[in-house]
Amino acid sequence: MSNLLIIAIILGLGVAGFVLGRQRALVSAGGDKRNLHSLPIYYGANVALSAILPATGLLAIWLIVQPMAINSAVSDLISDDSISETGTRDLVMADVRRVAEGLDRAVQTGAMGADTSFALDAGTDDVRDTLASLGVALGSDVTPETLAAGQRYRELLGTGNLLKTLAVIATGLLGLCVTYLRTHKDFRARNTVENGVLLLLIGAASIAVLTTVGIVLSLVFNTIEFFRLYQASDFFFGTNWSPSFSGRGQTSELGILPLLWGTLYISFVALVVAVPLGLFAAIYLSEYASKGVRSVAKPLLELLAGIPTIVYGLFALLTVGPLLVEAFGDGGLFGVSWMAGGTAVMTAGLVMGIMLIPFVSSLSDDIINAVPQAMRDGSYGLGATKSETVRQVILPAALPGIVGAVLLAASRAIGETMIVVLGAGAAARLSLNPFDAMTTVTAKIVSQLTGDSDFASPEALVAFALGITLFVITLGLNVFALYIVRKYREQYD
Amino acid sequence: MEDMIQVDRAMSTQQGTKISAKGVQVYYGDNHAIKDVNVEIDDKTVTAFIGPSGCGKSTFLRCLNRMNDTIDVARVAGDILIDGEDIYDPKVDPVQLRAKVGMVFQKPNPFPKSIYDNVAYGPKIHGLARNKAELDAIVESSLRKAALWNEAKDRLDAPGTGLSGGQQQRLCIARAIATAPEVLLMDEPCSALDPIATAQVEELIDELRQSFSVVIVTHSMQQAARVSQKTAFFHLGNLVEYDDTDKIFTNPQDSRTESYISGRIG
Repeated sequence: MSNLLIIAIILGLGVAGFVLGRQRALVSAGGDKRNLHSLPIYYGANVALSAILPATGLLAIWLIVQPMAINSAVSDLISDDSISETGTRDLVMADVRRVAEGLDRAVQTGAMGADTSFALDAGTDDVRDTLASLGVALGSDVTPETLAAGQRYRELLGTGNLLKTLAVIATGLLGLCVTYLRTHKDFRARNTVENGVLLLLIGAASIAVLTTVGIVLSLVFNTIEFFRLYQASDFFFGTNWSPSFSGRGQTSELGILPLLWGTLYISFVALVVAVPLGLFAAIYLSEYASKGVRSVAKPLLELLAGIPTIVYGLFALLTVGPLLVEAFGDGGLFGVSWMAGGTAVMTAGLVMGIMLIPFVSSLSDDIINAVPQAMRDGSYGLGATKSETVRQVILPAALPGIVGAVLLAASRAIGETMIVVLGAGAAARLSLNPFDAMTTVTAKIVSQLTGDSDFASPEALVAFALGITLFVITLGLNVFALYIVRKYREQYD
Repeated sequence: MEDMIQVDRAMSTQQGTKISAKGVQVYYGDNHAIKDVNVEIDDKTVTAFIGPSGCGKSTFLRCLNRMNDTIDVARVAGDILIDGEDIYDPKVDPVQLRAKVGMVFQKPNPFPKSIYDNVAYGPKIHGLARNKAELDAIVESSLRKAALWNEAKDRLDAPGTGLSGGQQQRLCIARAIATAPEVLLMDEPCSALDPIATAQVEELIDELRQSFSVVIVTHSMQQAARVSQKTAFFHLGNLVEYDDTDKIFTNPQDSRTESYISGRIG
């Protein structure tokens, strides 16, 4: 029975439980809902929830555990000899699964009887051809061992699925019956439903957290794999980035320093642009602007945050780059020739800075608004002007929060990709000239993983090491920023 | 206690008018908050504004240093003269005016700076000190006048927000008198303080009378009776009665005043 059908049955049980539970409660109260402890819908919801929640929970766990259990049971059947022929155990297991699926499909479409499918013999029947005619392609001929493992796989899968269906539906029915029998006018259904709601909310929150953990783990395993193939010290302290896709590791130099330098340089330029502009905009909006101006200008400014970064990238490539070349390039307005092409640290940094303005301004605006009016009154009452008040009272009071906002913007800048790809070029180099083309960690992750990449080579795996380095940097910045913001909040609340 | 008040009253000498308000009207948008108030406030005197909540006493106080300018919808009409000069004249700079007419607020609001910097803030922005030594002297004398010097002299670098509520309010008073104002406005300066801190601040107000003209808004009639020489009673935006404090509390002319001080309204 398919999973979708099982879920539908459980939901059906839930609906039935709702109606039944509600009815039973009302009957026990003599049809008068004022005699009930809770509102009638709580009794219904209680029965429905206890039919649905445990059953779906069981289904979810089953779906995770069953493939792992079957895999380990079947892979014991495969001898080490056949593994050495084809390469890795994973490849053999993939073949086993494909044989099993192919045979199942053959039975389903009627090309083969269920009995004959189990009676196949690798020596006499050409399993590979039979399956190919059904659209299942196999990499090599099916050995008796693979076929046996495949058959075993099918058996286990069949039993597992049957058990799953029975267990899940039984759990649903059990939950329904138990709660239905407990439903009575004095039963505190309201409180029980409250617990059910709590469980739902905890589930939602833990999915988000577990995803983060999963992301980190997938990065970590691949990074460990990378460091097995490539010296960690060469990666962290190498000053040269020249991956070679032809060789296998020996000719590649994968030093992170030029990329890290490019990342930090571009982020620095972006912050130099974004922090003053964003902060001044925030001060204007929160202290000087009238209500009318504020209600129009603030959403307009925040609109900048809604522009896709690829559009910013195009803006950098087509508008800002050529403008900068006209000013700083050969024969340009300033008579200097610092800039060779449109793609440069400056181009990407300027555009990224514009992108970050709403980040800085809207967070700073909130923080400046959180400074109590009493501070302003105190300062005005002493005869200070607006700008004196802003400079000497409001900004010092809001400073920790503003620092937090800047750090959040910085971690955003460090993780930015599209603007860099289009605006900063692809050359990894260590240079001080902001008009040189450089590249960043994120841009290189993209270029290492796009196209034909062999996930066993250090050239592809380096992307995960780059990713986790970046992750650690931005995570550190975020934690630091949150710490500062929280410390600041305690001052006035 | 009663005797002390009587002695105080005897000491209070009429030194001429400091602030003179004629036909003052204040509007908050469509709301007519102050209706045709005329009042003469004497120099070197404590004048108390009393009245029920929303009667306009704080609003009128904030007219005296043009703090209402910071509220967009507020509009003031009529004349307010300080030393014969119209403070709503276009020539007058409200920023300069507020240095001359200091203000202390309901809730202590020290800046998130050190005690020293809190007091030095006003003198610094108005350039009252030529050098560090003069600034130090201003800070010390202000803290002394505010009766905070002995408690704060060893911790001038500590943040002002770390003081107790009563100390914070005295710090705010020190901060206000550091700019050498001529008038000190106090908007319910004791309403956030406990009785002991209140007594200290009230004692301080009485001493400040030597140097300034003090106008205090208060909810507490006992406080008005204790600290002030003149009392003005506001009701629904009108100035109902304005006279010597003992006269207001013993022999009010208006029936509304009598009802208020005897606790029948308000």
